[in-house]
Amino acid sequence: MILHTLNASPSSAAFQDCLSLLHAKDALVLLGDGVYAAVAGTHAYEALQGSPARVHVLLSDALLAGVNPNVQGIVPIDMEGLVSLTENFPRQQAWY
Amino acid sequence: MIYALLVLAPPVSGQASRHALTFARTVIARGHTLHRVFFLDAGTLNSAAGIVLPQDEANPVQPWSALARQHAVELVICVTSALRYGMLDAEEARRHDRQAPTIDTSFTISGLGDLVDACAQADRVVTFGG
Repeated sequence: MILHTLNASPSSAAFQDCLSLLHAKDALVLLGDGVYAAVAGTHAYEALQGSPARVHVLLSDALLAGVNPNVQGIVPIDMEGLVSLTENFPRQQAWY
Repeated sequence: MIYALLVLAPPVSGQASRHALTFARTVIARGHTLHRVFFLDAGTLNSAAGIVLPQDEANPVQPWSALARQHAVELVICVTSALRYGMLDAEEARRHDRQAPTIDTSFTISGLGDLVDACAQADRVVTFGG
């Protein structure tokens, strides 16, 4: 039960490594350049749809990047939401 | 809960250090205790007293300083990283024969032991890199 945070482009090794280590009961938060994995129709988005983890996107970063945060399978959250996730997940793995 | 943060990102590129600051404020606003923020690698640049940004950009050091002052949050920068990036307090400036300190006085320079200690004391450790 790990909270993954991804602040890296979908083309990065960090994204691939993160993707390969997502398990059921894990959660992933896309932030910074990671929000580009929330662009529907991309390989990264499709890959995340096949992941067993719950996927979130930091709303402010998505809007800043011009990425639609309201896509199927990804839940937009604000910083309160991120802190709330850390309350529920004892451990975090930061990918960047 | 008791939180500790590890910040590895510099203040003037990317958004990770701003995430860390906003996260820190939110943690406190939700009633948690933020015990210590440990700055490592390029994250030590968040302590730089000499950063001057255009008027329409927020100074990255003052908000950390205010957080430390208002909520008794320890701001610690790793000594090895600090020296590498030229982040010196008065003592290190003297020790290494530099003209003046370069960090804001809200920050203290210490070793990785303080990170280990923070991990041991905190219920949650959250890392911000990028």
